[in-house]
Amino acid sequence: MPGNIRSVSVVLVALLCLVFCSQPTSLDAAPLCTNAEAGCHVLSLANLFDRVIQHSARMHGISNDLHSEFELYFLPSKNQIGRVSRNCHTSNILTPNGKENAQRMAREELTEVILKLLVAWRDPLWHFHQSMTHFHDFIDFSSNKSLKMSDMVHELRKGVQKVVEKMQMLGILSNSVSSLMSPEAFLASGSAEWRLMKDYELLYCFRRDSNKVQNYLKILKCRIVPEDGC
Amino acid sequence: MACARMVKHLRLPLLLLLLALAAECNSMSPPEKPDKLGCRSPDKETFFCWWTPGSDGGLPTVHHLYYKTEGQENMHQCPDYHKAGSNSCFFSKTYTSIWVEYTVIVEASNALGNTSSDPLTFDLMNIVKPFAPENVTVVVNIEDSPHLTIQWHTPSNIDTKSGWVTLKNQLRVKPDKSKIWKNYASETQTHFTIYSIDLGVVYMVEVRCAIDNSWSEWSNTTFVKVPNFPHKDNSFWILVFSLCLIPLLAAMIILILKRKTVKKYILPPVPGPKIRGVDVQLLKSGQSEDVINAMLLNQRFPVMIPWKDQKEDYLIVSDKETSYLPLEKQKIFILPLAMTLDSEVQSKETSEVDHFLKDSKSSSEESSDKTESSQLLTKCPSANVLNDEKANQLKGVTEKIIQPFGIGGYVDITRHEHMQEADYSRVNEVNGDNILIMKKENVPHTLDTQGQEGSVPDNYSMVKEVNSDNMVFLEKHSDSVDASFKAKGYIDWVIQKPKNLHMTGHSEIGVCPQLVGCEYVDTVPPPAVI
Repeated sequence: MPGNIRSVSVVLVALLCLVFCSQPTSLDAAPLCTNAEAGCHVLSLANLFDRVIQHSARMHGISNDLHSEFELYFLPSKNQIGRVSRNCHTSNILTPNGKENAQRMAREELTEVILKLLVAWRDPLWHFHQSMTHFHDFIDFSSNKSLKMSDMVHELRKGVQKVVEKMQMLGILSNSVSSLMSPEAFLASGSAEWRLMKDYELLYCFRRDSNKVQNYLKILKCRIVPEDGC
Repeated sequence: MACARMVKHLRLPLLLLLLALAAECNSMSPPEKPDKLGCRSPDKETFFCWWTPGSDGGLPTVHHLYYKTEGQENMHQCPDYHKAGSNSCFFSKTYTSIWVEYTVIVEASNALGNTSSDPLTFDLMNIVKPFAPENVTVVVNIEDSPHLTIQWHTPSNIDTKSGWVTLKNQLRVKPDKSKIWKNYASETQTHFTIYSIDLGVVYMVEVRCAIDNSWSEWSNTTFVKVPNFPHKDNSFWILVFSLCLIPLLAAMIILILKRKTVKKYILPPVPGPKIRGVDVQLLKSGQSEDVINAMLLNQRFPVMIPWKDQKEDYLIVSDKETSYLPLEKQKIFILPLAMTLDSEVQSKETSEVDHFLKDSKSSSEESSDKTESSQLLTKCPSANVLNDEKANQLKGVTEKIIQPFGIGGYVDITRHEHMQEADYSRVNEVNGDNILIMKKENVPHTLDTQGQEGSVPDNYSMVKEVNSDNMVFLEKHSDSVDASFKAKGYIDWVIQKPKNLHMTGHSEIGVCPQLVGCEYVDTVPPPAVI
């Protein structure tokens, strides 16, 4: 009898141990977040797209405000005849200039265009912010906006990169986009024409480009994850 | 020569004159510059421009629009002059590019010349402005809670599916008499419900939409009237209310009329203090009789039961000769001291007395005459038994009414007639136990007096009472014997007015320790004062 009880108790203990001891191992299983940075939780691609689109909309809003204010302060005459042609430094980037053109473009291409644009504007905006500090009047109104703008470009680029990675992980996007991730790669091939631009032109160009980014992202989202909001 | 010179000189002014005349007659001129150029893109995919032509100068004038995109050198003509109406130019999707700066110019030309307007440069993203929403319908519903349901359609040709256009909606409502609009935002849905509306008011509703924060005009106003509730409900409730009101009013009137009763019921009067047995009203009347009656109204005096069980005392009865007889030889006659009205008791007493008489009779035979007078009865005021002759008298005596008077009341002493008095002459003193101690010595004076007279009986028949000072109150006798009863020495005989007194027994030596008026009497045979 005591021998039986002993064996039964041993078995029970073993079972309990199995049950409870196995749990910590389950905790060591693969984390819920792939590409996990600190404190991540799972976001769907649609959510990521929404965030990025909101971000770009905010950025465009700021650039629009800045441009209007600049016009008010520095170019009061509305006579635009003698205006310099809009030679933005990003003109060499081929961008679709209509809905059909954007829809016809491949996802990878469109993603590349977005990234190129964002990459191209990081330095110029930083320098613009630096140069704005000299204008005391302008600073009172817009200095924080220019700083914000340059930060937003930086953040938006990172966000779009994350979206691209997720898409690549999901197999939606091919891996050909990865070559453009580093801004240095672009700058090496790109031009430094932006140094020749005047401030006003710079603002005008960025206003346009931020609008482009916003629209391209929306098109991309509704093509890849056509949920509500399209 | 002079003629030719004159013609030459006159040629130029003549020409001018002719020209002037010609000009005045026709008033033709090249057209004025077209004005107020404008362009608009309602869907972010196409756009159109319009202008206001100037005067045509009297000649048929044609307007042409030329545009140029950014980076191009040549101007192109408008692809469509008709779709967008007169004096407008419509650019279809083919010709529309965004993020490209357009330069548009309108030229008016007639036979005499061309006139161009000021150029207009724009980017498509800056001229986006949708049309107002279409088919706005407003439905009033007052079933559960009054509300307006508003529906509309987005303007046609706007593509919201591709994500190219993000549409927002807004509507505003106001009562037609008010001046303030109330705005409501409706993001992408094309219907809306408003609950905060008042009845019987006419409301105006307008809707507009926006592409990329660029708002359209407000739609045409839609008027809607909110009806009132049907009156049937009101009348029902009025009826119910009035029915409930009538009993309420009646109750209130009754309360007011009977307020005293109600007050009494709610606040009962506090009774004043009252003494039991005293009628306050009689007291108040003031009359003495009534006062007494009031006081004694309900007095119930407790029933007075005369003492029957009194302490029984022993009286020592002794002879003259046998004054020192020991106690045991004394004839002890124990009788209750209290007397009642009861005839039974009287009879009892009588019987007792009879016994006593018999007894005493037997004993008295020993000492004949002398003992007669010295027989003492313990009974106070009991009958004194001396001889047979007196027995009947004694009987009669005892049959006298004895009236007690309460607890400590009076006892009427029955009248004894022809009683033989005891001889008190020899009473020395009465000690505390109410025992007469006979004197040994003779009191010659009194005795002699007594002896001489001899016949003068000791008559206690007229003793009314005996007071504490050894005074015997006599009643007035009809005879003149009263005068003869004059106490000397020991007794004071007091002549009283006649009263129906009864004397029972004599209290020669009456033992009445407790009864008032039954005290001892030191009697001396009345002196023979006649």
